[in-house]
Amino acid sequence: MKRFFSSAAAGIGGALSGIGGFVRKLWNHPKGRVGLVIALLLAVCAVFAPFIAPYDPYDVTQRVEKGLSPSLQHPLGTTITTGQDIFSMLIYGARVSLVVGIVTGLATAFLGAFMGVLTGYVGGLADMLVMRLVDIMLVIPTLPLTIVLTNLFGKSYFMIIFIFTLFGWTGLARVVRSQVLVLKNSNYVRAAELAGAGRWHIMFRHILPGVSHLLIMSTALTSAGIMVAEAGLSFLGLGDPTAISWGRMLADAQSGGALLFGHWWWIIAPGIGIFLSVFSFMRIGLAMEEIFNPRMKRSSGLYKLFRTLNNDYIQEVFDSMEEGGPGGPGKGGAYDG
Amino acid sequence: MQKGYVLKRILYTVFIFFIVVTLNFFIPRIGVEDPAERYYPPQGNMSEIEYDIVKQLTREQYGFDVSTFQQYLRYVDGLLHGDLGVSFQPGSPKVADLIASRLPWTLVLSVSTLLIGLTAGLLIGSYAAWKRGQRVDTALLNASTITTALPAFFIALLLSLYLGFEWEWFPAYTDPNMVASFDWSWRSIRLVASSAALPILSMSIGSIVSYAQNTRNSVIAVSNEDFILTARAKGLPPRRVLYRHTLRNAMLPIVTNLGMSVSGLIGGAVVIEQIFNWNGMGTLFLNANNTNDYPLMMGIMLFLSLFALVANLVTDLCYCLLDPRVTVGGSR
Repeated sequence: MKRFFSSAAAGIGGALSGIGGFVRKLWNHPKGRVGLVIALLLAVCAVFAPFIAPYDPYDVTQRVEKGLSPSLQHPLGTTITTGQDIFSMLIYGARVSLVVGIVTGLATAFLGAFMGVLTGYVGGLADMLVMRLVDIMLVIPTLPLTIVLTNLFGKSYFMIIFIFTLFGWTGLARVVRSQVLVLKNSNYVRAAELAGAGRWHIMFRHILPGVSHLLIMSTALTSAGIMVAEAGLSFLGLGDPTAISWGRMLADAQSGGALLFGHWWWIIAPGIGIFLSVFSFMRIGLAMEEIFNPRMKRSSGLYKLFRTLNNDYIQEVFDSMEEGGPGGPGKGGAYDG
Repeated sequence: MQKGYVLKRILYTVFIFFIVVTLNFFIPRIGVEDPAERYYPPQGNMSEIEYDIVKQLTREQYGFDVSTFQQYLRYVDGLLHGDLGVSFQPGSPKVADLIASRLPWTLVLSVSTLLIGLTAGLLIGSYAAWKRGQRVDTALLNASTITTALPAFFIALLLSLYLGFEWEWFPAYTDPNMVASFDWSWRSIRLVASSAALPILSMSIGSIVSYAQNTRNSVIAVSNEDFILTARAKGLPPRRVLYRHTLRNAMLPIVTNLGMSVSGLIGGAVVIEQIFNWNGMGTLFLNANNTNDYPLMMGIMLFLSLFALVANLVTDLCYCLLDPRVTVGGSR
């Protein structure tokens, strides 16, 4: 087990040092730069929220007159129900969205990589069991199940991250698995095996780096998808009831009469927050993919996200790398000839 | 060989369904010690003995008086007879009846969304593929990036704000009596149509763009195939090549996925139904969840999983039948 951890640490360390290179490549890509700049701005908002926001929306004493229209003191007005400053809520809301999105994206990448490498490299019974599990999870309706589980285990963002991860790794695992099956027979892995390297050592030092580009791309695209899903759950009142999130702001706006009184700023503000965060992460993910795989250039962003949410987009990227060029209409749908 | 594949595929679906049934039964029960207590919380004016009697009666009424495993066997046995159990709602209505009464209302939304998305999407998508690389095509690409990043419920709120409240084109809230008073008269049909307008519109926007983008990509992929080259080399007019040769083949992956799309739309309508106060499966599920009505929750989840499973199966089998390239074992 000790060997497992030391190999794992080395593998993860290698992956982290690779990220610096990815950021540089991303910066030189026009689409990627837009995404990177927006994402950084949002991250700054989230981290330095107390310094940027004019008021503290969590502080009950800083509540003012209810239902104010936008003015110099309150750039986006105040809420009808509680008199909180909407602009400050908007800035604080970035925290929930980014944390849930990024943590889930990373956790999914780790779990997906682990499962994929395990099933692909070890094979046998583990492979069979995990792949049957994937088939089952693809059928169970995710949103209703998430609702049931959050209701049972308490409404917290930790729980939401946990559930999203539990159900999000399947697509990535399948792709990593098929990539690993190819790498397994490559000469350098064979050489390592012959040299007497341990199983875990080969998995983390030789196979994992070979799939790292898939993992980084998947993290960005998964994060974007999860941000939309998180907003939806918070909107349904299934997020942490004490935290200010964009989804909950929209729910409050709806129940607080923003529609009735025509306070459009209360609805547009969180919507723009959601839009920017999802948009930036999508741009980053799509730009990365164009960097790694020029053949996928210029096919639909929506299509990609849709397939990502259906857990089979990355499979297609991989297929296109393997086969080279469009296949039948079923698979070839995404590619430009 | 082909028959063998079909049989294997069906058996596998049944196996997965059985596992889903099992999960469905146990997941809502995690962490619940006494379902009777959840269903019937202690009342202030009740003595301990009285409450015990009430709990015992509740257990017997809903079948919680036997061990969990026996309950499971009973549940599976009921399912085999088409019985989804009894809801905790007052009057103990049957789960199957509740689902059957709400399903048509959800289908009104999801099927209309699908039809609108499909029709408009096919038209726009094939046009964009036709004018590929030109302004229409680029606009479609930008539209798809934007609509993905805008959640459907945000679009729904905007539509509700402007079309519903501000300009009063359509009702922003569904009349709560709409379902109960529906009698196929002209007036009630018009009421349904006008109330459904905003929910359908808010779901359609994303749907149109996604189908358009799928069609575009699919058309472009197909137009690189050799038989298209042959058709063009024969001197057929370009329009005819597009409609008769390209579009027909390009539609294949889109049409075969309709089942899965409907299943996704039903599940995804939860938020939209909540915004417009629409009495469909989504609202039913949220209410069941808020009142800890397990039988109903289990029933709805099972129904959605079954829908997805069958849709998957049908898609696979359709592919076998429709696309000569996907032959299993060589025979057609």
